[in-house]
Amino acid sequence: MKSLGRFYLIATLVFLYTPILVMMAMGFNESQLYELPFTFSTRWYDALWNNKILLTAGMNSIIIALITSVVATALGTMASVALSRRTFRGKSLLQLMLLPPIAIPWLITGTAMLIFFYWSGIGRGMHALLIGHVALAIPYVVLVVGTGFRTIRADLEEAAMSLGSTPVHAFFSVTLPLLYPSILGAALFAFAVSLDQFVISYFLATPGYTTLPVQIYSSIRKGFTPEINAISTVLLLGSMTVILIFARFAKPGDTRDKR
Amino acid sequence: MRNDQLTLAPARGPSGPRNGRALPPWVSTTALLMPTYGWLTIAVFLPLLTMFAFSFLSATPMGKAPIVFTLKQYRAFFDQPYLVGIGITSLLIGFWTTLICAILGFLAAVALVRSTFGKTREMLLILILLPFWTNGLVRVFSWTMVLRENGFLDSLLHMVAPDAGSIGFLYTRYAIVVGLVHGYLPYMILTCYIALVTIDDAIIEAAASLGARWWTILFKILLPLAAPGLISGAVLTFVPVIGSFMEPRILGGRVGVTMGTVIEDQFTQAFNWPLGASLSFTLLAVVLAIFATFSGVLRRGTAA
Amino acid sequence: MTNVKVNSVAKTYGTTPVLADITTEFADGSFTSLLGPSGSGKTTLLRIIAGFIKPDQGLVMIGNNDVTDVPVWGRNIGMMFQSYALFPHMTIAQNVAFGLERRGIRGAEARRQVDRALEMVRLPGFGDRTPKQLSGGQQQRVALARAIVIKPSVLLLDEPLSALDRRLRQEMQVELLRIQRESGLTTIFVTHDQEEALTLSDKVAILDKGRIVQIGEPETVYEKPLTRFSAEFLGDSNFLTGAVEDGAVRLADGSLIKSTSILPATGSTVTLAIRPEKMAIASGSTAENSIKARITTVIYAGPVLSYHLETADGLPLKLFAQNRDGTVLKEGDEISLTWSAQHTVAVAD
Ligand SMILES: Nc1ncnc2c1ncn2[C@@H]1O[C@H](COP(=O)(O)OP(=O)(O)OP(=O)(O)O)[C@@H](O)[C@H]1O
Ligand SMILES: [Mg+2]
Repeated sequence: MKSLGRFYLIATLVFLYTPILVMMAMGFNESQLYELPFTFSTRWYDALWNNKILLTAGMNSIIIALITSVVATALGTMASVALSRRTFRGKSLLQLMLLPPIAIPWLITGTAMLIFFYWSGIGRGMHALLIGHVALAIPYVVLVVGTGFRTIRADLEEAAMSLGSTPVHAFFSVTLPLLYPSILGAALFAFAVSLDQFVISYFLATPGYTTLPVQIYSSIRKGFTPEINAISTVLLLGSMTVILIFARFAKPGDTRDKR
Repeated sequence: MRNDQLTLAPARGPSGPRNGRALPPWVSTTALLMPTYGWLTIAVFLPLLTMFAFSFLSATPMGKAPIVFTLKQYRAFFDQPYLVGIGITSLLIGFWTTLICAILGFLAAVALVRSTFGKTREMLLILILLPFWTNGLVRVFSWTMVLRENGFLDSLLHMVAPDAGSIGFLYTRYAIVVGLVHGYLPYMILTCYIALVTIDDAIIEAAASLGARWWTILFKILLPLAAPGLISGAVLTFVPVIGSFMEPRILGGRVGVTMGTVIEDQFTQAFNWPLGASLSFTLLAVVLAIFATFSGVLRRGTAA
Repeated sequence: MTNVKVNSVAKTYGTTPVLADITTEFADGSFTSLLGPSGSGKTTLLRIIAGFIKPDQGLVMIGNNDVTDVPVWGRNIGMMFQSYALFPHMTIAQNVAFGLERRGIRGAEARRQVDRALEMVRLPGFGDRTPKQLSGGQQQRVALARAIVIKPSVLLLDEPLSALDRRLRQEMQVELLRIQRESGLTTIFVTHDQEEALTLSDKVAILDKGRIVQIGEPETVYEKPLTRFSAEFLGDSNFLTGAVEDGAVRLADGSLIKSTSILPATGSTVTLAIRPEKMAIASGSTAENSIKARITTVIYAGPVLSYHLETADGLPLKLFAQNRDGTVLKEGDEISLTWSAQHTVAVAD
């Protein structure tokens, strides 16, 4: 039974990774039409370097992800302090209000943003993308930081206060240093969420300002070229790296005592 | 900043009330919460409200055409019967994707819990979840490499049977389902795993000692215990799947017409925003109904 | 040092009164235990004195200062928590120096005071370790050093020893008492453990349902409980109920019980409490009071024998006897118990 189970898990991994690996391999194949036999070539990566549009879109994606990460982490951490450490009325409603950005299909959220931003004069483009991306990332930040809070006992702050710290000083000298790994994890997570976001960006981007996923989508719709494989590989490896670093920081399921 | 009063306080005995009086807590609580909820209001809640309002307009308020209040956008399902067919297609794609994910995901979670442990299990979990957190668009695109005519699948076939034709099935509904299953399977495995991992080995050993065969254990013990994970996994698969549009576009080609692509079209091609809004809201109503139905299970399933 | 006074302090959560009009004083340099069943409000009272909770009404005085409106960080208190609450990202020395730093004491002077405090808790040279590298008992001693190094006006402890195993706990009790005596700190100590309360304290305060039902020296509270609740909560007690008659108490079975307590007016009903170890098995000579009972259960615990008995009226009694000559009575034996009027305490219900 045990070996059957392992075989099944390996089959699952094969299913999950085969298309990705095939896609990556095709980016290194000489043929424009993905024809076999496989001939190794970095031709498509060289082409990538000269593709201004893709490079600009990639740069935009990274800048948006960075700003999103900083803003969402700051706001989400603040909210998490209140939600984790304070008692007040309406708290569960506020917690419920974090769900729509995660749970409602992005198609709905994205089109709603498009309508509202158009109607209110906010318009589309970089600032619109930022508003959308930060909103999507905040709930994840609150979740990750909130999990961090749960591992830090509230009586540490009380101990600091009994020794003469104001609540603000207690937070900065005791809680924040202990929360630091979670906050860093949340920032990475927000970065990854923004970097991979396609649907919202698709509705809020303008022809003059796009992100990498939006650009990839329009390239795919025009027809496949191995250049798409090359840029997709770069994007995929980038977000995998971010997520793996996150996994190291946040250690899902880490139960080390952080008293 | 140091509290000077405290510094000067004699080591023995407090020196009376100090000026470091705390603000009422609601002030700082509000200050902490305002930015986040203000942001969400502008980025999510006001847009949803505006979209709701738009869904009652007769036309997109861009040109000169007079705009009037109307319910006709919500009558679209009756006025344009082809929408009903598309709705059914979307639901069917959602149903099959969810069912296949549930079966494959449950079995994978069982295999994880019963045949692996320690570092191996941790590694496998990370490997399984890693694709889930990478770009969905890129993963869908990857499938075109496998499923297209003369793609990877055909190459495999031709290695065995050089003269066989093509079995690539890109641009079919099957391709859409395969791509979606690939997208949401990791999540289903995770929710089932969370439900199963808490099960005490002793329960299974007790059942085995009572003579239960493996299928009895699988269906009579593991399946009911994994039910909360299965249900929350199913909901969290079904909901995004019925709202998907790029998977059907890329993998379905001309047959890939779903609610998602129709809504997308209203905003990017047809410029009929009120219709798009009413369709979006219909979809949202379905989503909320699903969440409301399973809210109890979801709360337990995600609390772990 | 300083005394601590609470005056008419009350606290209600929602509609549940948790503390009801508490007025009491903790004398300068005294060690007072707050003892009471779970939910009786011990922690709430301690946290009101610390300043974590604002009372609905009443005053808290530390020394001559009304600190009711002073926040925790301005009260100059030392506090020890059940979970030690050491800062895990700081070394032991940094932990102990934390409060000094808040008071503007840094550098060499801070180091000197930290070293002295660590010596006081018998952990010299542990300054560079982190809390994780210490055992539970050691961590708790660091917590104590951190609390006393700032020379607080009052030391507040909420069940600080309950996370330790029995042996360590007894060790820490001795340490705590020694350090409290050396430093002369006014100390308020919440505990569940009666023995701990009796051995450590100058005064024991018994709380019940948000009220202090009795406060006094351990001997007084034990020997002369004021209420049925304190007699029962602190140690064991037998209770006899009867009507006052000629300065004694007439029980239902007709026997007359004498007591040195001040009794209410003739004719009124009164409850008498007698500690099980104060009773003896009558053999020839008897003390002032006696009662007949039948043994229902015998519990043999080595040095002490404890008997559960029942009178003819079905009243349950307990008797603790020293195991002097190895004779153990059997279940069903009819015996006569005797005790003195001095150990018969009239208690309020
Ligand atoms: N924040 C709160 N909100 C509502 N009720 C509370 C709160 N804090 C305490 N209580 C209630 O007040 C009562 C007294 O609590 P407290 O913690 O003071 O008891 P305690 O004597 O310390 O008990 P224990 O021995 O279990 O620690 C309890 O019934 C408790 O449920
Ligand atoms: Mg308590």
